[in-house]
Amino acid sequence: MDKAFEIQKNARDNVKSLQTYLTDLQNWESEMKRKEAALNGNFEQDLPPVRSKTRKERPIQVKKKQPNRISSSDYSSWEKFDVDKACEEVDMAAKGPMSLDSKQSEKEKQDKLREEAQYEKERGNTFVKQEKWDDAISCYNRAIELVKNDAIYYANRGLCYLKKESLHQAEKDCTEALKLDSTYVKALQRRATAREKLGSLRSASADLYEVLKLEPNNVAARKQLETIKARMGTKGSKSKSSPLSTPTLESKSIIPIDSKPKVVEISSVESTPQEKWRTGVGENITVIKTVKKPPHLRSKRALKHITIQEIPLGCTVPKVEAKTIDNLAQGDTNNNSDETKDCALSAKGDNIEINSNEIKSMDKMVPPVNSVQFMNEWKCLKGSVEARSNYLNIIDPTNIPSIFANALESDVLSELLSALYEYKDRYTRGLSLYLQAFTRVKRFSALAMFLADNDKLLVNKMLVHCKTKEGLSDDVINELKNKYEL
Amino acid sequence: MEHQDTPQIITHIEHNLNHSIFDCKWIPCSAKFVVIGCLPNGSGTIEIFEITSGEVNKIKDIERPNSYKCGTFGASSDIERRLATGDFKGTLEIWDLEKTCQVYITKEHSDIINSIDGMGGNTMNCGAPEIVTGSRDGTVKVWDPRQRGKPVANMQPMKGETKRDCWAVAFGNSFNDAERIVVAGYDNGDLKMFDLRTMSLRWECNLRNGVCYVEFDRKDIPMNKLVATTLEGKFHVFDLRTQNPTKGFAQVLDNSTKSGTVWVSRHLPQNRDIFVTCAGNGQASLWKYEYPEQRFHVDGEGVAVGVPGKLKQLQRMVISSQPINALDWNRDHLGLAVATAYDQYVRVLVTTKLNLH
Repeated sequence: MDKAFEIQKNARDNVKSLQTYLTDLQNWESEMKRKEAALNGNFEQDLPPVRSKTRKERPIQVKKKQPNRISSSDYSSWEKFDVDKACEEVDMAAKGPMSLDSKQSEKEKQDKLREEAQYEKERGNTFVKQEKWDDAISCYNRAIELVKNDAIYYANRGLCYLKKESLHQAEKDCTEALKLDSTYVKALQRRATAREKLGSLRSASADLYEVLKLEPNNVAARKQLETIKARMGTKGSKSKSSPLSTPTLESKSIIPIDSKPKVVEISSVESTPQEKWRTGVGENITVIKTVKKPPHLRSKRALKHITIQEIPLGCTVPKVEAKTIDNLAQGDTNNNSDETKDCALSAKGDNIEINSNEIKSMDKMVPPVNSVQFMNEWKCLKGSVEARSNYLNIIDPTNIPSIFANALESDVLSELLSALYEYKDRYTRGLSLYLQAFTRVKRFSALAMFLADNDKLLVNKMLVHCKTKEGLSDDVINELKNKYEL
Repeated sequence: MEHQDTPQIITHIEHNLNHSIFDCKWIPCSAKFVVIGCLPNGSGTIEIFEITSGEVNKIKDIERPNSYKCGTFGASSDIERRLATGDFKGTLEIWDLEKTCQVYITKEHSDIINSIDGMGGNTMNCGAPEIVTGSRDGTVKVWDPRQRGKPVANMQPMKGETKRDCWAVAFGNSFNDAERIVVAGYDNGDLKMFDLRTMSLRWECNLRNGVCYVEFDRKDIPMNKLVATTLEGKFHVFDLRTQNPTKGFAQVLDNSTKSGTVWVSRHLPQNRDIFVTCAGNGQASLWKYEYPEQRFHVDGEGVAVGVPGKLKQLQRMVISSQPINALDWNRDHLGLAVATAYDQYVRVLVTTKLNLH
């Protein structure tokens, strides 16, 4: 009874477990489908190589398809054969499909150039054997153009020049070769020969000593050296005096030594008057030369205004001026000029101006045409009443109204009056005329109104002077007194 | 007497195909499986089925002139999921099932490929992806899908030796990139173990009956156990941990059930000590290998000798009237299996309570 029950229970359990399993399975199915849909992308795996046996095998070489060879007797095919294209193909195969601007191709480019240069050299060498020097030189030229840092090309070209008796060029080429390779015996020997032929025995022997140092058993060099020594013995004094005989270093050329005496000659040549003027030779003047200084070294002081005067050629200029200019120049060139010196200089400058103005002769002054000219001169003459009165003297009083027009100021008028008064006897044209002329200036009545008391006093005194000295009539004096509102 | 924890083997879905079927495999990471067989006119078929709520639906059908015999997904990644097949003419093909085209095809065997196994497709650091095929022409060949045309290893009898029909091959011992072993069973009962690292025969024995199926309990661990099934209802379980120079490996022989040829034996992917054997009378048996206390003992000469364990039959169930020739456990779901039999039925089997063992 119990057993039957147990079996029944077992069966029921089994069904239950199966049912749960099946529902699980259904869930799993749908989940699997979703998972599978999401399955994409690359599955990267680091796989070991194919089994060892095959690893020993040689890597599979892709057999290149051999292009069909054209048989030598097949002339029609050879006629169609594009040689340029074939050459290009061969070149490309050698070069590979790399881009030209990559670093590797740069090196390849160099190699190619070198190859080409080598080819040119070979051609040059064959020309040398045939003693066609000019052709050989052009070949070496091309080689040097392609590769600039090969000593052999220079030395070979040097030989060609030597054979052509262009000794200077030969020497130059050998020097170039030795710059690149200082132990290049052939170049040394060739240069020695060139120098010997040029007559610079000492430098030639120096080269040969160098050769013997490198190759002690070089018979040719030894022989050459002996002949040179013999020549040096016979005309030793001559060779010493020769400028070419001085031994030169590899890098130095002999040209500067040659040209030195020439320079002296040039300086001794008589210079033209214009050049004299430019350099200031024979004149008692200091020429200010332009000073070129970088901005940070220049003086920080403000530039000083220097009035430039025209001096005709040959005219001597007052010494003082030159001195000051010299001083100024010094001050400019001196970066750290102190305050006191500065002050002295400026004070000096002022003095100079006055002095020079004083000395200015009457004939140099020009009567003004308008108020601007007058005012310029008038300001220049400031401080010297005499000069001003002189200036006034050259002005025709009848022109005064036209000169000033309506630009006469009251302060200028007072200055004019004081100048007139100071040297009232000097005026060749008569003082009264000036006084009358002022009254005819436009808007004089307005100016008269603002005349200061001491100005009026001066006018009064001048009128008295005019009455006594020039015999001016009372009517005119009264009229003037009215005009000056005395 | 049935215990409460005894697993139940139940046929979940039965689907009749009107042609012979030889092999079936779950497509990795899916609820789909392929069935390989041949039509009465002799052309081969590869069919893809999907299970949906208690039914199987055919998704795809590939037909080719030569009958297919066996197939495996073992050498392919879970994303590519390429099926390697062997056919009656000795051709090895690798299929892209999505595009329905071969990505690899080679005919190096001169006769039918009886058995195929793949390895390394979805395991990391367990060697290259490789396929091994055993053929009636007496050779066992190992292939790498990356090398076209030629096998990477070829095991064949010496000249003068009679060529035996190879019925079963399997990979194992592939616990790193270098080590890998192939076992091959022949119709005369020979069982040979080839070491692919040293390219040598490691061990061989004769099981007296033709070896129908061999399988390691796991492929990607140092070899642990091997099951070899033979004719006349017998199968051998070898403990491969201890190899004695004279006695070889310890083994358990089961010949208790008079069930005819044991066609196939498959280990549970989720539990390496449980396996199923499918016999000629249509019976599926669930076994559990029980280890001994000590897996080896040292004999009088100081050499280790393996100690065999015991076999326990968990369940048996006749599910077919004809021999079951193939069975495949699902890798992603415990207890789910698909089986083909000579009665032209494909069956989806479920086994409950496997988690309790």
